[in-house]
Amino acid sequence: MYKNSRKSRLESIESNKANKPENLEVSLDDNILLFKNIFKNDETLIVREFQNKHLKAAKCCIIYIDGMVNTEIVNENIIEPILHNDLSIDIESCDLLGELKKKVIVSNNVTVETEINNIASSIVSGDTLFLVEGYDKALIISSKGWQSRTISEPESAKVIRGPREGFTEAIMVNLSLVRRRIKSTDLKFKFREIGERTRTKTCICYIDGLVMDGVLDELEQRLNKIEIDAIIDSGYIQELIRDSKYSPFETVGSSERPDVVAAKLLEGRVALFVDGSPFVLTAPYIIVENFQANEDYYNNYILGSMNRLIRGLTAVTSVAIPAMYLSLVTFHQEMLPTPLLLSISASRQGVPLPTSVTLFLMLFIFDILREAGARMPASIGQAINIVGTLVLGQAVSEARLVSTPVVVITAITGMTTVINMNFLAATVIWRNLLLLGASILGIYGFLMTFIILYMYLISIRSFGVPYFMNVTRVKNHDGQDAWIRAPWWAMTTRPKIIGDKNLVRESSKKSKEK
Amino acid sequence: MKKLRLTLLILIILLNSAFATACWNYREIEKLAVVAGVAIDQGTKEQYQMTVEVIKISGGKDTKMTPEIISAEGKTIFDATRNIISLSGKKLYWSHAKIIILSKEIAENSFEKIIDWYNRDSETRPDMYLLISKEASAKEIFDAHREIESIMSLTLADIMENQISLSKAAESNLIKFDIESQLNGASQVIPTISLKQIKEEQVPQVIGAAIIKNQKLAGFLSPDETKDVIFIRNEIKGGLLTGEIQDNNTPVKFTLEIFDNKTKVKPVVNGKNIKININIETKVAIDEIEGTIKFSEDERKRIEEIAAKELKKEIENLIGKLQSEYDADIFEFGAKLREDNFKKWKTVEKNWGDVFKNTKVDVTVKVAIKNSALLSKTLKEGD
Repeated sequence: MYKNSRKSRLESIESNKANKPENLEVSLDDNILLFKNIFKNDETLIVREFQNKHLKAAKCCIIYIDGMVNTEIVNENIIEPILHNDLSIDIESCDLLGELKKKVIVSNNVTVETEINNIASSIVSGDTLFLVEGYDKALIISSKGWQSRTISEPESAKVIRGPREGFTEAIMVNLSLVRRRIKSTDLKFKFREIGERTRTKTCICYIDGLVMDGVLDELEQRLNKIEIDAIIDSGYIQELIRDSKYSPFETVGSSERPDVVAAKLLEGRVALFVDGSPFVLTAPYIIVENFQANEDYYNNYILGSMNRLIRGLTAVTSVAIPAMYLSLVTFHQEMLPTPLLLSISASRQGVPLPTSVTLFLMLFIFDILREAGARMPASIGQAINIVGTLVLGQAVSEARLVSTPVVVITAITGMTTVINMNFLAATVIWRNLLLLGASILGIYGFLMTFIILYMYLISIRSFGVPYFMNVTRVKNHDGQDAWIRAPWWAMTTRPKIIGDKNLVRESSKKSKEK
Repeated sequence: MKKLRLTLLILIILLNSAFATACWNYREIEKLAVVAGVAIDQGTKEQYQMTVEVIKISGGKDTKMTPEIISAEGKTIFDATRNIISLSGKKLYWSHAKIIILSKEIAENSFEKIIDWYNRDSETRPDMYLLISKEASAKEIFDAHREIESIMSLTLADIMENQISLSKAAESNLIKFDIESQLNGASQVIPTISLKQIKEEQVPQVIGAAIIKNQKLAGFLSPDETKDVIFIRNEIKGGLLTGEIQDNNTPVKFTLEIFDNKTKVKPVVNGKNIKININIETKVAIDEIEGTIKFSEDERKRIEEIAAKELKKEIENLIGKLQSEYDADIFEFGAKLREDNFKKWKTVEKNWGDVFKNTKVDVTVKVAIKNSALLSKTLKEGD
């Protein structure tokens, strides 16, 4: 049903186009009417007609959309030269349009266009249309100018050490941020528009001679397959081009930081910029990238390695701790030391619900709290905090609805979950699956589910690269940037497979000695 | 095809785990009646009387753990265990039990019959400590401490763990006893427990040992004799040696702390005769001298000699006592002979009891003083 309706909608867009004339008319009035028809009921369209007092033939008209253009450019560089100059002196040949383009209009980017569709899309993206009486051609004058956010540090990934720039919503600004970091002519940019209606500008970015074989073609192929009417954020594309569609694990990366994207490009990856989104996609994306923070590379390598180990271990604990607790307390009490058994038993006295149910409930409540914390307006934040800490932490255990160890386990799980927000979806889903396994079969169920998770992770690919690459291997240089971050003098090669095309990235004296 | 293989694989894992599981089920922790220790007495009509100490936990703001003593009789040990349900309401949970106390009567008559269930059942653990009560019954040990409201069995387990630095009670748990009873011809020692009157309370004391010969209680050893047994078995990890030294014709008592000990038992076969050489080398430190002796190299040697002589005398006496009174080989001489000279062992295996009785034992003891702790010489008052 959905597919059909979507198709018919797209077809209707097509048919609308078919009814309209494809090329410009000769008469200026006809042309103005044409565009007024196209932008019917759109009151932001500005049509300004004017004429040079010396050269009567120069009867012109500019059309643009209010708010999308820089009015100073329009006033000073288009209207003023034509109104104030004596064009009869300047214009020599009979090709008025060509002469105006060459001699009069002050703009860095002017193109001649005849097709109405192209003209219309230029107008909506902030260019100014320049029409002259008697020509079935028109000039498109670049005059884009709208308000956008300034470059600032991203809220989602603040650093103590490292550059404080973050991507903005404007694609060209974003490209410049990366270009400024990689001043090489090998850095290539390829634009394309995605989205039938939104015509969102996207840009594939890669480094020639470094980019992994096949990834570029594969990415372009997958982008070609996208048939969607709107792209609001890069998340749309991220989901449309990914491998293993139903997986909670991301196989396409996203980053808000230009230094991260530059580093990934330099490892042989491809980046995809999407206009309107400060999140730039990178591919291929493997699991260790979830644990790599840009600060690891800027700080002392021991600190970086330690932090990365913490991230890796907490990722495991955030998934496994509730299930382990459950299986120890309800199946394998003999594995607990006697004093611990007695104190857990004491805290369970008089609790009406089974341990498994309380664990599921508390974890669910934690997820609710987390979501509430992310969505709530700042003004009522305190209320949520009080409810969270007092009502859930204290009152629940004092009222003996839940035993205190369960509250502790929930707190540990919550804390470790927040460390690894990159794969929150996977954490929540697999934590509950493990808990389910443990509540049915104890440690057996827990391990069984864990093995299934492991097998599943090994089976995933991202653009042909094994998702679990480098996690289990520490041979040669494979493990240098996975569980730990090797010092820069030792990280002489790019990651395998992704950086195979040009493996050596460093040939300093020290590394040569080896 | 790929999906089919994956589903098959998952199915195999699921099925295997379902069939390969042992004893498990979902049970809430607070529903367990956690047994801390058990005492076994002779009941009426050839039945066993089993007394368990269950830890009763009451939650709330301050947790309270109180012992609950439940007794039941049964034709067998397991029968008695199940009969307890009718009194406690909960199934007993044995995995955290620490102590088995046997009465003298039970130990004299049916020792191995009792032990079997604890070895066989999957819930009971082989690290439970075995004790033999010197009192009239085993269960009165649990009753003794009632006023203090602490779990007796846990206290006893602590005593057993820490008596290493005392070395006056034999160390024994279920698995150790099992292993030792597999040695041919050997007898075992098990620590004994008795009640001591302190003011108005009766406090249990673990000290001394019982001799188990052919799975039956044969006799008791005094605390000092127990220490000598541990010495010969090369199991000593701590403890003290005391002695007296003459200083200008006044006796001065000294105490040495054992740090390290090596005992070598070597059977020497000479034709028909078997001789056992015991070579004890002990490293000690002077920990206490009750008097003012000048400390010199000579004095140190004298102390070493006196201590060695004392220990040698004690050990020889003990071996003599066991050879003549009990003829029980608690020192594992038989096992040593089997290791050392299997052929000879084969010839004497059948009547090892008699051979042991007449075996000559040669003891040499060497005590070496390592240091004198924090003081180099005794402080004199008013000096």
